This record gives sequence, structure tokens and C-alpha cells, in this order.
Amino acid sequence: MSKPADLVQGTLDLLLLKILALQPLHGWAISLRLRSISNEVLQVSEGSLYPALHKLEQEGWIKAEWKQTENNRKAKFYSLTRLGRRQLETESANWQRLSSAISHVVQLSEA
Amino acid sequence: MRPEHWFFTVPLRIRSIFRRRRVETELDEELRFHLEHKIEEGVEAGLTPEEARRRAFLAMGGLDQRKEEIRDARRIHWLTDFVDDVRYASRSLRRSPGLTAFIVITIALGVGMTATPLSMLDALIFRPYPVPRPGEVVTLVSTSRDNPFDSFSFREYLDIRDHVKSYVGVVAHTALMTVGFSPRPVEIPRIRGALLVSGNFFRALEVEPRIGRGFRDDEDRVPGRDPVVVLGSEFWKSEFVSDPSVVGRTIRLNGRDFTVIGVGPEGFTSLYIFDRPDFYVPLAMAGSFTTNPKKSFFSDRDDRELTVRGRLRRGMRLGDARGELELLGRDFAREYPATNRERGAAVRTMLETRTQPGDANWKFAVIFTTLAFVVLLVACTNAAGLLLARARARTREIAVRLAIGAGRFRLVRLLLTESLVLALLGGICGVAVGYVGIAALQTFSIPAEIPVRIPFRMDARVLTASLGFSILSALFCGLFPAFQSTRVDLVNGLKAADQGPNGRRRLWGRNALVVAQVAMSLMLLAASFVMYRGFQRSLSEGLDFATEAKDHVLLARFDPRLVQYDTERTQRFYQQLVERVREKPGVWSAALTQNPPLGLEGWDMVTFVPENFEMPRDRDVLASRADTVDEGYFETIGVPILRGRGFRSSDDSGAPRVAVVNEHFAQHYWPGADALGKRFRLGGRAGEPVEVVGVAQNIHYGDTFSGRTDFLYMPVAQHPVARLVLMVRSDGDALQLLDPIQDVVRSLDPNMPMLRTMSYAELYRYSVVVGPGVAIKLVGTLGAVALLLAIAGLYGLVSYNVSRRTREIGIRMAIGARPRDVLRLVMGRGLALVAIGTVFGIAMGFGVERAMNSMLFHAGGTDLLVYAVVVPTMVLVTMLAAWVPARRAARIAPTLALRYE
Repeated sequence: MSKPADLVQGTLDLLLLKILALQPLHGWAISLRLRSISNEVLQVSEGSLYPALHKLEQEGWIKAEWKQTENNRKAKFYSLTRLGRRQLETESANWQRLSSAISHVVQLSEA
Repeated sequence: MRPEHWFFTVPLRIRSIFRRRRVETELDEELRFHLEHKIEEGVEAGLTPEEARRRAFLAMGGLDQRKEEIRDARRIHWLTDFVDDVRYASRSLRRSPGLTAFIVITIALGVGMTATPLSMLDALIFRPYPVPRPGEVVTLVSTSRDNPFDSFSFREYLDIRDHVKSYVGVVAHTALMTVGFSPRPVEIPRIRGALLVSGNFFRALEVEPRIGRGFRDDEDRVPGRDPVVVLGSEFWKSEFVSDPSVVGRTIRLNGRDFTVIGVGPEGFTSLYIFDRPDFYVPLAMAGSFTTNPKKSFFSDRDDRELTVRGRLRRGMRLGDARGELELLGRDFAREYPATNRERGAAVRTMLETRTQPGDANWKFAVIFTTLAFVVLLVACTNAAGLLLARARARTREIAVRLAIGAGRFRLVRLLLTESLVLALLGGICGVAVGYVGIAALQTFSIPAEIPVRIPFRMDARVLTASLGFSILSALFCGLFPAFQSTRVDLVNGLKAADQGPNGRRRLWGRNALVVAQVAMSLMLLAASFVMYRGFQRSLSEGLDFATEAKDHVLLARFDPRLVQYDTERTQRFYQQLVERVREKPGVWSAALTQNPPLGLEGWDMVTFVPENFEMPRDRDVLASRADTVDEGYFETIGVPILRGRGFRSSDDSGAPRVAVVNEHFAQHYWPGADALGKRFRLGGRAGEPVEVVGVAQNIHYGDTFSGRTDFLYMPVAQHPVARLVLMVRSDGDALQLLDPIQDVVRSLDPNMPMLRTMSYAELYRYSVVVGPGVAIKLVGTLGAVALLLAIAGLYGLVSYNVSRRTREIGIRMAIGARPRDVLRLVMGRGLALVAIGTVFGIAMGFGVERAMNSMLFHAGGTDLLVYAVVVPTMVLVTMLAAWVPARRAARIAPTLALRYE
């Protein structure tokens, strides 16, 4: 997997959970959304998107369903499960703690 | 993980396993959907379709790799890999059918040889009692110096039941008793087996009857008041064709009417594995059954006929229960010194009860199982050797796999899967082999009055154990070859087809295998020979009488109590019986005994104090086996009286008490003196004096394994016994006396059952020929199979070496080596290994011989003949196994050999 300056380990999971918390989406739509919401700062290789999705599915955090798209094609839509919602809460809390701690440290060193 | 988590994940895993293809198609579709959109996007941005397509795939970063990653995410890799491995293994094993068949047969023999002894071991030692929570059930025993597993008397049982607190319930039951059964009062009774049990028996063991009810406590209170009976389940099926309306009906047992109140639970027989009672009757009815006539069952504290069992309370510690009963045993000894002096009480677990030091059966099963495991070990080493050879021949294949990136662990797994497939195939065939062995054991019939059930069977337990052992053997024989063959030098491995690691180490493993094989087979052969010789030795003495008597003596057992005779009437019956039988033409002599020599019922133990004999300081009385016989006994069975006289009809209840002892007894207590005229006191120091009037020759009394023992004969007229065997000796064939004797019995009492009628030859055959024969055959088969395996192993090793060195041999011969040199070259190593193995084997043989002698035959020393036969046989046979392929090597034409490869 390409290791972009992009993503701290595990943040991709957090991003995916967050995106899916807003609405159920299929893989292609998720990749578009990832690109747009992070202003192209976070480069998620499309290659690593699907393994990550499947991993989340196997963890029981998201579930998949085949549904019609607006263009009348069948696509695999992912949505959050109850477990996923709980996981999202803990992970975002962790992330808040971590990022505030890091920015705190970074500001210290500049002072 | 939380269960909630499984709610989502388990269905997914199951889907990934069983709908594998569907899941794959969905994955393809999902990725295609993505790619199509990506391409569309590219085209819209102005790229050519081809370029857009190329970029789309590029963005994915290797489609197949991604798919693999996704498959990994499913977490069923271990399984799919395993399935693939099994598929691959079966394919590659099919390619070498000869080798596969050989390994499968080898393992099948090994596993099959263990299945039979395992079924014996399970039945005799490990199979739990057929009751719920069998681990809680323990046996309470009375202990004395001579018998640490003695029974309790009825009175003692009551005291124990009322005083101990460690148990939910304490039950008592007798040994299986013969009983005369007639479904209707008019019918002549048939012989069946009954168990007298305490009223709480079914309740405490938690095996409630399937129909009707068990006993109520009040049905066990008053002697003789409540004639109720619970039928054994199997008996109910065969005798009453499973008719549920049997409850409430009346049947007749020993001449008394009993009301059927229930049918015992399916599958429950008794806690003793050989018994299959047809009736369960409350202890209070003991008066109608054959208890010890010299004692009073309900009042004598030393009429010890009850096996007492307890179900421990939940959470009760065994140690506490033991302590409690030991205390009670000490109380007994203090309160009742007359009957309980030198006696204690102890709690025994199931395992302890089943492995009593006096019982030979379980010891035999242990020895047999151990030897069978050695055979399995030999089989495994054989299979390991072959797998090693095979792995080496596949060096190139393995090197290629390693070179293109297969992990070593992954390869080891593949190779282990191969041996697992082999071992399981072998295991399944082995179960079939074992089944045949167990079926053979079951045909073994014991000439007892009540059919004895042979508890050995191929059940789920034995099956699981057998398959378990084949999996273990797969690990054992596959692990080493797998690790060794995946440690390949890649460069050399790719060059040559057949390359092992260099240096001495590569041979070390195989050499060790051969040495182990030779040693173990030699030990097994020695063991089977020791067994054979042991039986031969114990059967060679004291059986002269039997070889003469077997075709001329007829046996018939009687128990007049079955038809309600009292002591006096019983004595008159026997007297008339013998008198009238003696008058019949063709009868040479007739006699009464409690148990014929070699008979199946145990001997009475009699306690006594010899006069003028210095007693060991710590004992009050001595004990000896004894038989009660009449005046015709010694003549009829053919045991010579060496000094003094046998019994006379004048030795009746009014005359002074007399006895005949055997030589061993005489020498034991009056060494160097004449035993005639010496006296001992029966029962104790104050007992009635008995004078020795004769010394009889030592004979073989019964138990095949027992050595020489003391033996005492007493006249039946002075010690009346109800249950006796009539022995009749004819001039010609014993069986021709059957009809005349039946006529006599009928003329005396048409209702009197003849319990078991057979010629002495039948007993002889069972005790002397068949019983030991089975044991010898079992161990002999093990030895033979081990030898066969060792031959195959050595043959395989040498021929494999020859095939590896064909080229080298060709060169040697081309430059002038003679066939003899080649022979020496090839065989030399094999013979050295055989020699080392033989040395180890002899050492192991000594060990096994010592163990078997001390456990079974009570003999010491080393039987040199065993090794004089076994060692040369072994050496000769293994030399032959090495010679055949070696000779083939010596005949290789150099031109052919050099063209090889």
C-alpha cells in the first residue's frame, strides 16, 4: 500500500466511518467524496479504498447492500451498523485527543 | 469479542466459506463498477478511452493484489488454503499410488493395532459409570491386610449410610447372583442374574426406571416383606418383547412371587462392567437369594457381601470423604473387635476400584496397549522414513516454490497437510482393522452360568481416540521431513532433482529411524515370546490331572435354595444325588465340590491359626484359599493324595474335624516336618481345632497367572454348603452321562434346576487353551506386525539408497569394483544400523520382560531362550531385507548406470 504523507495509520477507517455516517454510499461515490471533502489534501489511493471497506465490513462496523443507483445500475452500497456508530464515536474521541495533544506539542516547540 | 459483534461477522464468514464463488463475483462486479466510472470520468476529461482505461487500472495499483488483500480481509484464509492444500496433496499423492498405498497400509496397521487394546483399556479402566455425573460416584470398601478392596456387611452398610455426611446417597448392592426365574408359577425355573440393591439405589445413582418406578425406602426396611422387582432393560426387551403392561404383573423368582414395579433405564446395567443383571431386587429380600449360608445376612457383621457406593455431595472434597470414612472404620474396629479387628475402611475412586492389584485383566490391557503403541510408533517411523525419501526426491519442486516466493512456513503446512491426508486415510482403514480385532474379541465366550457380557466395543470413544492418534502420527511422521526438506540450498536444489542437505546430518535422521525400528520390533517380538513362555510355564505345572479328566468328567451345578430347600433337605438331596448317580452304569465315580479346579467362581478364603507355628507379630490369623468337597473328590478329579488319606464318609458332622492340605501349605507352615496329624484352628486362636489327615499334590487351581499357592480342602459333611457342583467321571465320553444324571435329578425333584451342565473339557478349553491363547495371539500379532513393518522399513531404506547411488555404483564398477564390493558397500551401513538397533532392542526387551513378569506372571529372572530365538530371527530377517535391494545394486550394468538421469 502506498504510504502517503497522507494518512496516519487508522485514519482511513475513521474517515470512511464518518462519510458513511452521513449517508449510505457505494465505493465510487465514497472515493469522490473523499477527494472533495479533504480538498484533495488527503490522497487516498483508490486501490486501498476497497480493502479498507471490506475490512470494516468484516469487523461488523459497516454493512453492504446491493441497490439501484440513480442511473439504474446495481451497486454495492455501504452503510454504518450500530457497532460502527459506536466505533466512530470512540475513534473520533481518540482522534480529538490525539490531534489536540499533538498541536499542543507543536505549539510548545515554537514558543 | 462480544456476541453482538458475532451477530454481524459470523454470517459474513459463513457466507465467505460456503458461497465463495458468489462472493467473488460480487467483488468483481463492485470493482468493475468503480473502474467503469473512473474510465467514464477520464473520457469526460478528454482522454482517449484507452488512456482513460490505463489510468483507471493504474490508480487501482494492481487489481489482483487488491483482490488478494480483500480476500485476506475475509479471515478465512486458513480454511481456503487448507482446502487448496488438501486438493493439491490428494493430486500429488495420486501421482505416486504405490508409495501412498504403502504409507496408508502402514499407518492403518499401526492405528488398527491400537484400536483393539484401546477398547479393552477403555472398558476395563476408563469408561465412566453409566450414570449421570459419574465422577461423583465412589466406592466405599472395607480394608484388611489380605484384601484392600473388601465388601461390607449389611449391618456395616446401615451404619455407614446413617453416619457419613459426604454423600448425597450411599447405596449398596451385591454381586450378580444366579436366580431361578419362571414367568408363570408352573414353569420349571430358568437361570438368570439378579442384583440385590438398596432401596435408594436408582435414586442416588440418578438412573430412574424408564417404565414404572424404582424402589421406595420403606420397601427396603423389613426383611422379606416386600417382594418387588425392577426388570433389566435388555431382559425386558428379550423376555417381555418390550411390553409396557408388564408392570404390575407377578413373576416367580426362586420359588417366590415378585411384583414387577418397573423396568430399568435403557443402557444402564450395573456399575460393574461385566455384569448385565436381569432383575433388581431390594436388599430386604436377601432371604430368598443365595447369600452365604454360614452367616446371617441381616445380622452378622462379618457377612461381607455388599459393594457400597456413594455419590459425593457437590463441592465435597475427596480427601474429606476419605478422612471421614477412615475415622468410621476405626470406630468399627474399636466397637466390634470380634469382626473388625485389623480392619479399616477407605474410599476408592472408579480408577482405583478398576485397577486393583489383584486383578490381571486390566494389567494385561495396559501391557497390550503399551505394546500396541510401540507398533504404532514403528509404523510412524516407517511412514516418516518414506516421507523423508519422497521429500528429498522433490527437492527441485520445493526449491522452485521457495524461489518464486513461497514462505517456508506455508510449504511446511502444505507438506504437513499431505501427511495429514495420508494419516487420516490410514486412520480410517485402521479403524476397520481395529473393528475386526474387536469383533474377534467379542466372539470369545466364557462358560459361566449367567452370560457374561464382553464390554469391548468400537464406540465413539475408541473411534475418536483412533482418529486422534492417526492425526498425532501425521504430525509425528510429517513434521521432521517437512522441516528438513524446506531447508534447501536454492542454487543446488534447482540444479539437481534429488539433493539433500550436505554432510553427515542428512543421514542422521534416517539412521535413527532404522535403529529405532529394529529396536522396537525386537522388543515387541521379545515381549510376545515372554508372554508365550510365561503362559507355557504357568500352564505346564499342575495340569496333569486336567488333561486326564477333561474328556471323562461331567459337571453340573446345583443350588437347592433356588427351590426353597432348607439346609437339612439340601444335605439329603446331595447325599441321595451322589448315591444314585454312583449306581448308574458307566459312572466310575462321582463327587461334590464348591468349585472344580480351573472353575470360574472364586475360591473361598478361610482364616486359620496353625498350632505350633510362630505367627508373624502383626497378624492374628492367616488366610488360605479353600474348597469344600466330599469323599469322592480326589478320586474323581484325579488329584493324588501324596501322604495320609483323603476324606471318608465317616468324616461327618459328628466326627472330629479334619482337613486335607496341599504340599505347598504343608511346607509353608510345617517346613521339614510331617504335616500329618498337625492341627490348626479355624477362624482364630479360639476356633475349633482341625487335624490334617492328608497332603494332596499341588495342582493348578484356576487363575492362569497365579503362582503356587496354599490350598485347603474340607469335608462338605462338616461344613455344609448349598451351592455345589456334581462331578461325575465316566469310563468313556463324559457327555453320555448327561441323560442318566438328568433322570436321577428328575426322580429326586422334577423342579430342581441344573444350573450349568458341561463337560470338564469345556472348562479346560476356556481356562487353559482359549484364554491364554487369545492373549498370546494378541501379543503375537503385535510382534508379527512390528517385524513386518521393520522389514519393510529396512528394505525401503536400502533400496532407496541404491537408487540414489546408481550412478556412483556404475562408476565404481566401471573402474573395477566387483559385485561383492558393491554388496558390501550398500549393505554395510544397513547392517551396522541393525546391530545398533539389536543392542537397544535387547536392553528394552529386558525391561519389558521384567515388567511383564512382575505384573502378570509373578516370576523373575531372564528367559535366555527368548533372546536365543528372537535375536537371530530378527538379524536374519533384516539382513534379508537389506540384501535383496543390495543384490540388485551389485547387478547394475555400468553402462546403464552411467546413462542414468
